[in-house]
Amino acid sequence: MKLTRTKAFKTFAGPAWYENPINMQMLGICSALAVTVQLKTAFVMTLAMTFVVSLSNLIISLLRNVIPGNIRIIVELAVIASLVILADEFLRAYYFEISKLLSVFVGLIITNCIILGRAEGFALSNPPHLAFVDGLGNGVGYGSVLMSVALIRELFGSGSIFGYTVVPERLYAAGYEDMGLMLLAPAAFIIIGLMAWLQKYLVNSRK
Amino acid sequence: MSETLKSIGFALGMCLVCGVLLTAAATGLQPMQEKNRLSDRQKNVLYTVDLASRDKAYTPEQIRDIYEKNIDKIRVSAAGEIAEPAEDKAGDGQVLTIYLYTKNGEIQNYIIPIESQGLWGKIYGYMALENDGSTVAGFTVYEHSETPGLGGEIEKQWFQENFEGKKIVDRTGRFVAVQIAKGDVDKRVPEEKESHYVDGISGATLTGRYLSKGLEKTLSRYEPVSLCFRKQRLSCRLQEPTDPGEK
Repeated sequence: MKLTRTKAFKTFAGPAWYENPINMQMLGICSALAVTVQLKTAFVMTLAMTFVVSLSNLIISLLRNVIPGNIRIIVELAVIASLVILADEFLRAYYFEISKLLSVFVGLIITNCIILGRAEGFALSNPPHLAFVDGLGNGVGYGSVLMSVALIRELFGSGSIFGYTVVPERLYAAGYEDMGLMLLAPAAFIIIGLMAWLQKYLVNSRK
Repeated sequence: MSETLKSIGFALGMCLVCGVLLTAAATGLQPMQEKNRLSDRQKNVLYTVDLASRDKAYTPEQIRDIYEKNIDKIRVSAAGEIAEPAEDKAGDGQVLTIYLYTKNGEIQNYIIPIESQGLWGKIYGYMALENDGSTVAGFTVYEHSETPGLGGEIEKQWFQENFEGKKIVDRTGRFVAVQIAKGDVDKRVPEEKESHYVDGISGATLTGRYLSKGLEKTLSRYEPVSLCFRKQRLSCRLQEPTDPGEK
């Protein structure tokens, strides 16, 4: 059996590309606007988000047969919130500078609709390994959009990539200027809009 | 009934597991986080007197080295005299903490901790003043809970650099503190008062108002110290040797 035909691969590729949470489902936009000024913050946000969504999917899927139906949302939220706090505490202990830059947005992963959506829509009705892979797929799907937006915003807004200046001095001397708009939230809105358009076009033309 | 009991039991078990896990994580990581916070505060003290640059990255060890070489933390009584550590317990407002930046045996700056009300929570920072007792040398914020992008701009370099060179006294030598203008200083403030105002943040009028009030309150509490520097400059009694264990 080819790798691309396996159920696990399909579970991964779905959210990572065909049903991308940001571009195709328009979820998690708030954090995508907020943390994409720099690649560094976008990268850490991607890691934190992937950690939370894949582990919460795994845990909820493991518990799916014992969770009482009438309190399932509360249980899901308790799992998600605990994981988010863990991620936040860890960042504060080992990556203090970045956790200061991300400020409230790590904590706000709790309210990211992608995570509760996957827990409720996928993990509750699928076996643990698939749920975990689905979480990874969503993390990668979310993160790839975040990183692309951050790359465009940092390159044109600050002339750097991962904090290293890449736009040569000579260009500035010749009259080039960084684009101030890229540092503001509306820029992310415009970029995400264009990317959603592009991806919808690519996905539809393959069909 | 048994369905309800099962739900309650599950919820309780869930609380217990999550609670234990989070408590363990929080306690286990606390020393590390404490260390980071201390280093961050030391770094902010250094920012106010330009001993560290905001554009560069430092390891906690580098920060500690520069800090310990240049900065002394001392306590003074509300009247502006050096207080014995024992007086610390005398009650709130009795003893003031200041940090001294000494170079070649002369006090260059004194740095006062800022604690102000903000719109959503407390704002913590430092303000450095020149040894003339009237000019602001630097200002930083290291902890706040203002809205990112609006009031949160107080942690940005452009806002903090605004403060450099501003005066806390007017031409006649009367104490006036530093205020945050509503908008740009050159458009909003009459010219003779421009040296007491810094540019405000658009969309964060309330944060600015709270911080102005907090700065005035803190600066007026430290006024005896400033007065001492204004009158006697370097012969101010504050430069007496301090207990090295006080850092």
